[in-house]
Amino acid sequence: MKLQPRQQLLEIWEAAARASSQGKEWRWGGRQGSNSISDAEQLLCFMYPASELPEFRLDTPDATSDDVLEALAAIGDSVEIPKRLLTLLDAYLTTYSDKDGRPLFGGDSYFLPNEPGEEITSEQRALDVVDSYSMSVTLMLGTLGFLKVFRRSVTRQDIRAKISDLESRANVRLSAAMVGLLRSFTINVFEPGSPQGQALLRTANQAKVHDRRVHDDLQKSLEEVRAGLRDLTIGSGSQVDLDNPNLLFECGWAWGVVKNAPEVVTDLKVGEQPKGVAPEVPYLYFTANALVGVVDLWSERTRVLGLLDDDQQQLANALQRRWDITQNYWRTVATFGKDRWPLEDIPWRTTDGKESDYYSLGVTAMVVQYLVRTRAGDVDLSRVAGVLEELARSARITRRPVENDLSAVALHHPGVKVTLLGSEELGPQLIWQVADFAITLLKRTIWVATITQSNRTRERLHSLADQIWAHIQQRQFTHQQVKGLWDNPAGAFDDVGDEQTQVSWYFTERIVEFLVTLALTSRESPLRSQQLVELAGEMLAEAEHLLNREQVIRPVRARLGASSTITTIATRLNRARKIMGERPASAAALINQSLLELDQLAAARENASEAM
Amino acid sequence: MLVFAISDKGGTGRSVTSSNIVYRRALQGQDVCYLDFDFGSPTVGAIFRVSTASRGTTKGGMHRYLEGEIPEPTRIDVWTESDRDAIRAKPAGAGQMVLLPGDEGGGEFATFDGEMLKRCVRLFAGLHEQFDLIMVDLSAGRSFAAHLALAATAQLPRIPARWLVFHRWTRQHIIAANGLVRGDHGLLDVGVEHGHDRDALIDRIRFVRTAVLELGSGDFAHLRPAQRSWLNEIDRELRELATRHGVGLTTMLGKVPLDPVLQWREQLISDDDVAGTEIANPETVFAFDDLAKKIVDDTAWEGL
Ligand SMILES: Nc1ncnc2c1ncn2[C@@H]1O[C@H](COP(=O)(O)OP(=O)(O)OP(=O)(O)O)[C@@H](O)[C@H]1O
Ligand SMILES: [Mg+2]
Repeated sequence: MKLQPRQQLLEIWEAAARASSQGKEWRWGGRQGSNSISDAEQLLCFMYPASELPEFRLDTPDATSDDVLEALAAIGDSVEIPKRLLTLLDAYLTTYSDKDGRPLFGGDSYFLPNEPGEEITSEQRALDVVDSYSMSVTLMLGTLGFLKVFRRSVTRQDIRAKISDLESRANVRLSAAMVGLLRSFTINVFEPGSPQGQALLRTANQAKVHDRRVHDDLQKSLEEVRAGLRDLTIGSGSQVDLDNPNLLFECGWAWGVVKNAPEVVTDLKVGEQPKGVAPEVPYLYFTANALVGVVDLWSERTRVLGLLDDDQQQLANALQRRWDITQNYWRTVATFGKDRWPLEDIPWRTTDGKESDYYSLGVTAMVVQYLVRTRAGDVDLSRVAGVLEELARSARITRRPVENDLSAVALHHPGVKVTLLGSEELGPQLIWQVADFAITLLKRTIWVATITQSNRTRERLHSLADQIWAHIQQRQFTHQQVKGLWDNPAGAFDDVGDEQTQVSWYFTERIVEFLVTLALTSRESPLRSQQLVELAGEMLAEAEHLLNREQVIRPVRARLGASSTITTIATRLNRARKIMGERPASAAALINQSLLELDQLAAARENASEAM
Repeated sequence: MLVFAISDKGGTGRSVTSSNIVYRRALQGQDVCYLDFDFGSPTVGAIFRVSTASRGTTKGGMHRYLEGEIPEPTRIDVWTESDRDAIRAKPAGAGQMVLLPGDEGGGEFATFDGEMLKRCVRLFAGLHEQFDLIMVDLSAGRSFAAHLALAATAQLPRIPARWLVFHRWTRQHIIAANGLVRGDHGLLDVGVEHGHDRDALIDRIRFVRTAVLELGSGDFAHLRPAQRSWLNEIDRELRELATRHGVGLTTMLGKVPLDPVLQWREQLISDDDVAGTEIANPETVFAFDDLAKKIVDDTAWEGL
């Protein structure tokens, strides 16, 4: 694979630091202006690598590495950088709280009117959106961990006070985001004969059997999910009646707080819980996004640093239940049946009758997450790999776009329109535009590549990843201020006329997230094959045997000359034995070299005895 | 402002680095002076290439002044008296650059009395009126000169004073630098004895790493991969060691890369050495320049 995550991340940091600073001032916002999501994304471009990768940490000024300091020179030195982060986090928390300190999660300038030109109302701008919750979860966890470690290096009283203040405000925001996520979860129940029911059955029925049978089989496979949903207690989705076994359903996250969602009862300080307007309809996009964001809540880092208190832990558990169930639901539907998977029937069709490659990708996300978690078999993974390849082709990433291939290009620019139902109660119909297809595809590709045991599948996926990355690099800005950041689709598609000039923190942050995941996985020791370990073991036995013989045969006097060769060989074989279990291929290389040299000695002796 | 240059070990690069900082500061337009308080070996004249003072002055220098033999120590204007053409050409806009050398043949004092302290205080106070930056080069180790400086600054609370501790990037030097500051009879102990507040004093001390091998720089492209990875590993260990000994990045003011010119000769590096003859590295001058700015930049001293 050609990707070098560490190097790429440093370059992005340098570019992001340059684009964000205007002298000593910080420049918030990008293409769509500043809002609770975009600003979180901008901060996460720095905070995420810093909290996930030890060599990018910024919380211990004494340990900041040189190349990191070089990349972030626009922000300051090892002492100034964390202090600057404090100021920025403070600014973020202040901007996105009301005067009573209640955290705000408005989608604001990320909301677009369905009819261009229509004026979005201020009530609409303030509507909470699931993307803001999940970004905030990630940002606040990053912040809390950062503060916890940074505090150790600080003795000055004023800075310590600032850290404590930020800590309590970040906790409020984290709790509020979790509450928001719990109140945006939803279950949509429908009759099998309804249009939604028909759409779901059509998706599941790849074998084209009788509707009734698909229905019964599907209900049976979903029994566990249904039981899980019935047990939900706090948050939305807990009052839905799932007792009628004839009704079909789907579950996941709505775009925002569900209309009439009950308040979450908690001792935590979260402020007033806003009323929602979203209907009880799960959206694939928001579901996939929420699922990605909340995993940080139960990551090892969160546990080790003890970032959640007991009450927060309770909310996190409630979210985890929903996470498990939702994944299980989509995985069941997407891989239903014995023949072709519904997932393989591209494009995916949602129950409200929309179809798009984007939805296929969303479902893939959930299936992959499930497969990662269950350490699935290679057969399944290779089928997912096929889907990913197909998506890359039809989205014109690995295949050149034909002329006027507008629908494929529109997937990337301007992106897929998601209609935010219910928002029209407060003004014009709102939409959400998502353009992260390429990077999301790349993320899934790498994910699958890291868990597959099959070298063939891995090779296939790595080559796919290289191609997607090449595509993404074409969309990188090349001009001054925003150089090295994203997203300029015109760089990859001739049909996109207008060159972008402003950074999309939305897209850039997702690239950072991807590179971090990649860096994390490449740190793990390489997959090794048992066969290779055994082979290396046998080779080593032969080499050591030959070496012993060489040491015995050689007369003491003559050892003077050859002894250094023998010593080198012995050292090398010792090393081979030491690393054989972890890195059999490297061991084999060492053994090979020793065998060659030993054979040279033997051949020389044979030659000598022949001549006699 | 008074800046004291100190190091635990001899030959760390204390004199060469502090002289170059002073030179850079003068080029940045400030009036600067350099005091040779390395009484045992008064040789800074050599670095400025002032031949009349290369082993100290014969006209009455720091020793004789402190002993009360002369009313004022000799001052040498480096811009006019240096033997180097590159230095003698004082650029427009540059500040004064004055050297106050020691006496030729002068030696380390064994102790100091109240009179001597008074003279020292008067000297510092007087120079503070005339110069923006007064760099004082102290002897290596726990010296009498350092005691004198601590005692004098304790009596001059209104004159800002800062301390630079120079050390090389090795295990021994890192541990020694910390010991010089925080160890028994170290700067802090002695400072407190003379009436300094420990916490206030520690805030005014920063470390400077000298002659550091910069692994990323092109100079080391010729290293074998194995050497490179060995050095990287050592560097990582030294960082950890430095952090444990309070000599990490938080307390570091700057570092100066190893330079081939300084390796072989103690001198000021002029812009011509970098841009004209190209014998010295631009990174070295950049580091001196940066230190010259940071010395007086309050945000760089704020700390955590
Ligand atoms: N950045 C550098 N690169 C290479 N050599 C250097 C560097 N800085 C100083 N040196 C060299 O190190 C040696 C010691 O420097 P210097 O005389 O300044 O040290 P010192 O600490 O003042 O020593 P002393 O305690 O003897 O006064 C000199 O030869 C000097 O040229
Ligand atoms: Mg010296």
